[in-house]
Amino acid sequence: MKILFFGRLSERLGREMEIDLPADVRNVADLRRLLAGLRPEAQSDFLGPSLRACVGDSIVGDDAPVSGASEIAFFPPLSGG
Amino acid sequence: MKVQVRLAAEPFAPDLELADFVGCLATEGAVVSFVGLVRPHSKDGTPLTSLFLDHHPRLTERSLGEIGAAAATEFDVSAIRIVHRCGKMQPGDPIVFAAAAATHRRPAFEAADYLMDRLKTDALFWKREEDDTGSRWIEPTGADHADRARWERASTCPE
Repeated sequence: MKILFFGRLSERLGREMEIDLPADVRNVADLRRLLAGLRPEAQSDFLGPSLRACVGDSIVGDDAPVSGASEIAFFPPLSGG
Repeated sequence: MKVQVRLAAEPFAPDLELADFVGCLATEGAVVSFVGLVRPHSKDGTPLTSLFLDHHPRLTERSLGEIGAAAATEFDVSAIRIVHRCGKMQPGDPIVFAAAAATHRRPAFEAADYLMDRLKTDALFWKREEDDTGSRWIEPTGADHADRARWERASTCPE
């Protein structure tokens, strides 16, 4: 699965990373915890409220399923145009 | 109704955008356009060397389209155009062009005002200011959110 990062997050983590999704990672909340462990330098971002997840081009909540998705993006707060 | 949006990775010429927009009109009597330029200083007065706008490869342009379509629904206008830069810009570079055309001036003014308030808070961009000492990511200000909220009050409390 491809994980995409934008804004200040992309500066710290790069634009994208590939992960093999463990079977017990079922929703966005599980994925946040997994990523917080894999990339501890951004732990507070993944576990905090400001980062939004985007699955299938839609912003979703923490209970949204992630299995089957090919790409999930994480958005820091927008800064507007 | 014509809603045209474009995400521009390269510099654009606002005067040519306006001329082209007006050239596409037929019976309208009013056009209001806004051009935003990259400011040479940050909020605290630090001189900026450049500005970078990060964007999503699909969803940023889609967000521009949604904002344009919302303005077209909200106001009695017949054409909308948004051109928005992404990538690296220099102070003084045009960053956004927003225009609305209508039969009469009032809806055109209101639609252009609405477009800019929505673009400042809802367009899918991440902004980084760069100066001689480094760079920092910027988030919408309280004033930006207050400007955006004016339209929520307007739509929920019709006269």
